[in-house]
Amino acid sequence: MKSLVRYIVAALVLSGVAFVLGSYQTDVYRKLLLWITLALSYNFLFGICGQVAFSHFAFYGIGAYSVVIFITQLALPLPLAVLATVALCVALALVVAIPATRLAGFYLALATLAFAQLFIVVLNEGGTVTGGTGGLTNYRLPDIFGVAVTGPWYTVAIVLLLLGTFAMLWRLERSWFGRACRAVRDNPDAAVAMGVDARLTKVLAYTITSALAGLAGMVYAFVDNTVNPAIFSQESVFQLLFMVIVGGAGRPAGAIIGATVLYLLPLVLSPIIGHHHALVFGLFMVLVVIFQPRGLIGLWDRFISGRQHRQAQVQLRKAHP
Amino acid sequence: MNDLLELLVSATASGCVYGLVALGYLLITRPTGIVNFAVGEWAMLAAFGAYVALSRMEMPYPVGMALVLVLMLAIGWLTERLTVRPLVEKGAPPLAPVLSLLGMLVVFRESVSIGFGADPQPVPPALGFGRFEFGPLAGAYQSFFIIAITGLVFTGVWYFFERTLTGKSFEAVAIDRRAAALMGVRLGRVTAASFAVGAAVAGLAGMLVSPNVSAHYMMGMPLAVQGFTALVIGGVGRVEGALLGGLVLALVEQFTVRYAPIPAGLAMGVPLVLLIVFLLVRPTGLLKAREARA
Repeated sequence: MKSLVRYIVAALVLSGVAFVLGSYQTDVYRKLLLWITLALSYNFLFGICGQVAFSHFAFYGIGAYSVVIFITQLALPLPLAVLATVALCVALALVVAIPATRLAGFYLALATLAFAQLFIVVLNEGGTVTGGTGGLTNYRLPDIFGVAVTGPWYTVAIVLLLLGTFAMLWRLERSWFGRACRAVRDNPDAAVAMGVDARLTKVLAYTITSALAGLAGMVYAFVDNTVNPAIFSQESVFQLLFMVIVGGAGRPAGAIIGATVLYLLPLVLSPIIGHHHALVFGLFMVLVVIFQPRGLIGLWDRFISGRQHRQAQVQLRKAHP
Repeated sequence: MNDLLELLVSATASGCVYGLVALGYLLITRPTGIVNFAVGEWAMLAAFGAYVALSRMEMPYPVGMALVLVLMLAIGWLTERLTVRPLVEKGAPPLAPVLSLLGMLVVFRESVSIGFGADPQPVPPALGFGRFEFGPLAGAYQSFFIIAITGLVFTGVWYFFERTLTGKSFEAVAIDRRAAALMGVRLGRVTAASFAVGAAVAGLAGMLVSPNVSAHYMMGMPLAVQGFTALVIGGVGRVEGALLGGLVLALVEQFTVRYAPIPAGLAMGVPLVLLIVFLLVRPTGLLKAREARA
């Protein structure tokens, strides 16, 4: 009950912001919300389940492209198109995951990297279905029950997506499944000995998070009303990885902080250093991995525990002068 | 027939380049277990080194080449010192160095893009432009140069691992780190050396391929993926595997582009499919690693 109230307050606050922003700020705000959504699900896959997969952004693209193709080319009504897209994402994720999770460590990274690149190749060569290098444009969101969802109301839809993803992953993380994921990440052999089906856990985690990425992609498709191969290139998945690591892998709060910092950083830095913010990203990443492996959220934890420690000492001194 | 043989020469040359990149991975992965995706970026750095030395300063080729290789040895050694050693000493999880090297990949690429701009820069071939005909075999001078140098490098590396005591100590670390350390092999030195030589070998690949593709700050990632595909095809355990994998990959790639009735863009997907198939069906690659003898 208490958490439901919290979610409603968060939804109201995050949606409220949408109604006071100008058009440029709305664009930045929507994309920030989408990055956070993606970072949350990637955090579950990478940070909690320990799978280094480079296919997350490809699923974002698959979601975006398929919903557009289903609506414009197959003339499906929106609810059906959404269901079909989710089904497609789940099916593709299973196709990738069932053989790929057999592979240990970096081989999974490579198989998913190859899959993501194959996706780009298919986009470029898809002819009229995917629109080739130019992508798909000139479409818009169909009315939902006769209402055109536009402007700040569409931002509200993104907020609901973000909170839905957050709530689902939050519950999942605290369930037996989340514990199984952590066990598989930390020590697969021990996990198996404790009765965890390591492969099933990996396949499920991969499929769920990939479907969530596809869902976010669907919402993204109607933000710019254009999808093209350049948006879903390899660079973005690195950025996602950097966000999760800089924020603090394995912690939802870390994913939120990392996504916010790394998404807003280029906007802040570009007046100073132009388009070379990627260099700052790289340096940031190296420094975080070496000096602060628990990420920015780790710094915050240390600050909090340091303060508690000091308070405890003060009380101790008061009690025993 | 002539067409086929000409294609064979050029495919062998690109196979050699892939093989060298794969060797760059292998030299680091074998003793340390670290997969260094920045090898492609090392190749890119060397290509720009070659551009500065050969095109701008117009040094003679051997001098320029030697200089670039020395530079790459230094870069590899520094990369290990600054971004890998601190993590290993702290006992960080095995993923940590991979991630910090991924960060270095971006650092290398962006530094070059700031320093040299986004335009491709020309690098001259070793023996000038021209065609060499050797009976029915014909191809560019550079293709034959690439094949010859790669042959030399692989022979040298093979000799080092198989016939010298230092090379055996590297192999010992690859088979069992702890046991090797207990036997008096200095792990730090082996790691530093493998990074330095790995960077030099990857740099050589970049330098050899740059006359054909020009030095460009985005050239690293494709090379990194092709090199890794070659490594997976050949098998991560053996030096010969890297070359074999590179050759198989390049032959499949160029023959599908040339002869298969599919659009050129889709043919780019063929190596990726090959990579996936090999990962799933035969993750050990064509050649198996040597196991520890009981």
